[in-house]
Amino acid sequence: MEWTITANAPGQVCLMQGNEAIVRGAVEAGINFAASYPGSPSSQVLGMLGKIARERGFYAEWSTNEVCALQACTGASLANGRALCVVKQNGLLCVADALHCAAQAGVKGGLVIVSSDDPSAHSSTNEFDSRWQAMSAGIPLLEPTTMQETKDMIPYAFQLSEEVGQIVLIRVTTRVCHGRGNVTLGPLPEKPRTLERVREWDRMVCVSYMHGPALQKLEELKARFNDSPYNHYEGPEAPKKLIVAGGTGCLYGQEALRRLGRDRETGFLSLGTLWPLPEGYILPHLRSAEDVLILEEVDPFLEQAIQALAGREGLRLRFLGRNNALPPIGELDPDVVTAAIAGLTGAPLPEKKPTGELELPVREMSFCAGCPHRATFYLLKRAMRQEKHPGVVVGDIGCYFMAGQSAGQYAWQTCNCMGSGVNVAEGLGQLTNYGLDQKVVTMCGDSTFFHTILPGLVNATYHNANMLLIVLDNSATAMTGFQPHPGTGLTAMGDHVKPMDIPKILDAVGCKVEVADPFDVVESEKTLRRMLDQPGMNVLIMRQPCATLMTKERSKKPVRVYVDQDICLGDGCGCDKYCSRVWGCPGNTWDFKKNKALIDPVTCVGCGVCAKLCPSGAIHVEEGPPQNPQIMRGEEEQESSGRDARKSVPAAAKGGEEA
Amino acid sequence: MLSTIALDTQVLRPGLCTGCGACQGLCPYWGSVDGRTVCFFDCERLDGRCQRFCPRMPTDLDALRKQFFSEETVFPEIGPFRGLYLTRAADASIRAGAQHGGSMTALVELALQEGFIDAAVLTRSQGGLGPEGVLAVNSKEVRACSGSSFQVPPTLAVLNQALRENKFHSIGVVGTPCKTLAVYKMRANPLPENDNHAGNTGMVFGLFCGWGLDWDGLNALAAAHANPENVSHMDIPPSKYHSLELREDGKTVSVNLDEVTPLVRSGCRYCADMTAEFADLSIGGARSADGWDVDKGWNQIIVRSEKGQKLLELAREKGVLEFKEAMEGGLDKLKKASLGKKRTAVKNLQALTGKTDDLGYLNPSKDWFQDL
Repeated sequence: MEWTITANAPGQVCLMQGNEAIVRGAVEAGINFAASYPGSPSSQVLGMLGKIARERGFYAEWSTNEVCALQACTGASLANGRALCVVKQNGLLCVADALHCAAQAGVKGGLVIVSSDDPSAHSSTNEFDSRWQAMSAGIPLLEPTTMQETKDMIPYAFQLSEEVGQIVLIRVTTRVCHGRGNVTLGPLPEKPRTLERVREWDRMVCVSYMHGPALQKLEELKARFNDSPYNHYEGPEAPKKLIVAGGTGCLYGQEALRRLGRDRETGFLSLGTLWPLPEGYILPHLRSAEDVLILEEVDPFLEQAIQALAGREGLRLRFLGRNNALPPIGELDPDVVTAAIAGLTGAPLPEKKPTGELELPVREMSFCAGCPHRATFYLLKRAMRQEKHPGVVVGDIGCYFMAGQSAGQYAWQTCNCMGSGVNVAEGLGQLTNYGLDQKVVTMCGDSTFFHTILPGLVNATYHNANMLLIVLDNSATAMTGFQPHPGTGLTAMGDHVKPMDIPKILDAVGCKVEVADPFDVVESEKTLRRMLDQPGMNVLIMRQPCATLMTKERSKKPVRVYVDQDICLGDGCGCDKYCSRVWGCPGNTWDFKKNKALIDPVTCVGCGVCAKLCPSGAIHVEEGPPQNPQIMRGEEEQESSGRDARKSVPAAAKGGEEA
Repeated sequence: MLSTIALDTQVLRPGLCTGCGACQGLCPYWGSVDGRTVCFFDCERLDGRCQRFCPRMPTDLDALRKQFFSEETVFPEIGPFRGLYLTRAADASIRAGAQHGGSMTALVELALQEGFIDAAVLTRSQGGLGPEGVLAVNSKEVRACSGSSFQVPPTLAVLNQALRENKFHSIGVVGTPCKTLAVYKMRANPLPENDNHAGNTGMVFGLFCGWGLDWDGLNALAAAHANPENVSHMDIPPSKYHSLELREDGKTVSVNLDEVTPLVRSGCRYCADMTAEFADLSIGGARSADGWDVDKGWNQIIVRSEKGQKLLELAREKGVLEFKEAMEGGLDKLKKASLGKKRTAVKNLQALTGKTDDLGYLNPSKDWFQDL
């Protein structure tokens, strides 16, 4: 744990990542409670909080899902506790009902939600804009720009929450979470806020007549936001050209404006309090303007709110933003912002320096070397192709999201949100009784199983849908960095607890359950095909630890996998690069000089499945002493994405022999 | 075109596949389930043995025939011909388990014993439901394959595997016309970079064939009329009986042929070969002009090659087969039936392509067929 998180050194300037700044802010706010479900780009926040929770005297948990997390925070608030809920964009949508109800009821102890958006969906299935939830639920919304603001806004939000009696939403984005910047530390409280016994007549109830008081809170907030320290204006007194920016747009905009040399004549309004709109602060700048450019991530949230304000005030303005001057999708970057500001100010666009001759090759995302999911989806494709009518496969969210691409043999037809798979499959499975002549398969990970699959599982089993749910049990919330879930026997605070047994749960629910090892390709395919033929609700648990866990094991028990190139058929008839092209493990590469298969000893983790699949028996597995100490991997755990799946990202060109 | 896509678009989707297995046992891309040929994954090679061996990919039958048979023996209706015989196995125990006269079992057994072949790829009928290809290396294993099935299994997958292992060097093959044609296509070594040891194929024993049936369809039909587990034999008597007979626990259950004909495998409707013209010997049930009973329990054999002739003579010498005087007009009757199948195939192919001058996979031999 970084010293900066818990150091009681007010005034000390530290270099901090945005996620660390959130943690530091929470510690400075003296939180009593923190709950989250992992999701990029904010996955690290609760992991860090869990590690310092005991020392700082608060409770932290990786909740089973976001609804559990927010509602637990609501409980903490009722006892006057300060509670921090950390979610990603999809998590916030998942928790929408809980949020709207809690917002109408109001809070006692401060309740702050940090929702991290992933513009361009680097680590997500989609880009959503969390800010609409603030508008819809009628709660205040803040958005920091710098690491300092990120840290400072947390205690500010808690104070605001308690003063107004309302949940506060802080929206951050990937570049804020993962960027680094200087942060001046504030003082740490002696101890967390004092809890208060819940009194007999305390009420936090969502009833219709609370709608009015909730709206009153917004009015009160509007007034506060008109002179909030998080809103700034720079530029001439009465600008004709005005830029309004929130979040990353502020820094990109300021930089671009200076670059174009138009910072003196252009007004720049940075907003940190986005909802309710600080109308009194914005209007004076708006009145002199003729052209207004809005810089914000994802949706035209501010743009529409300010257009509405201008309309109400009868102002005739030209608006530039997501609807015209900026790309309608994808995250902002200095280039698109510069182009938009050039459009606003009429400044000539500086010539772009060429970045280099070679374009980086675009490489599809794939499962790790040795990932058990690869084997499961390989077997699933084989099984589905053996059906008289190819079956329908319904996807879900996790690492296995990538199964929709070549990594999973283009496994599925649909993929929606976490937990959707079992329900979409239930719908199809019921229709198999009404003339739909197809097998229906869906899947979930072990973390997702607890997150949102359970109700769907109960529904499908109770109504006896004809379907197969494959639980990809790799004993990990792998994609977000191995956060514990109820199946692991660990908690965020490091306690060992009794793990939940998935087969026992399934058994109690009453569906047919079998467990298979995806690396045992022959037996597992038989099991899979047998279960596909069974009517009713079937669950197949494909159990094999995550490959990244295997990497750690391998340093203890090294395995060497290699290709006998004299036997290998290469791209000849009878093989056609079966290991590297079809099986597709990153460990199975290609020897361009000899036109034969090759195993990359650095990437290979020694699962040995390719040896079982090689049509000519050319791949051998040898257990023995380490052949190459470089294959030992570190113990680091990477945070990547979570509730998530990623898009294709450019990968560095391969060099040397393979070029 | 990519190999797997070529077979998929030109053979599987148009319904031409016979399920012979010629494309299987070679690579991890092709397999078979319940008589259905299945592509597991796409191969990206432009050429491959699967499409080269497939009996439903375009083939110049005339050129292939010239490569392996002497031209003067060829009858247009039934292919290479050196003689027609009526025979049955002399051993009554072979006849007891046979479809007709057990001549095939006796001849394959003899060929193995006398070193004509060192192994044989056969089909074990399993009573007619769920047959499978086997590699037999002794008499016992050969005899276990007596009897026919109307479900055609991918027997050639077994041949391909055996050839790949390169353990036997003269593997005999017993098969329906689609399968024997595929074996000769293999022998022609169409993909020089990988011949799969096709030179190790030995004598080819063809089976007369009218059509095979859809696996699921026949399974359902059998289940509707009997307990499929107890069905030990199936046969179709001459056309005047208009029935399929199932033997269940020794009793015969007769099923109206109208229930059977809709189950004919799509690929068989486009087959122009009744007598397995690519073979050393072709064997079928004897069909006498005088009715079922006269020749019941006898086979008719067309000898097509010198080697076939030699084996048959040896069988006569050794008393392995009993011979009966062939009926007068038997050959003409056979020619007529064979021609009928060819005409039907041409008609069905024209309907499939929608053009009278487009015979699909028979196009390279179009002249031959259009003269029929």
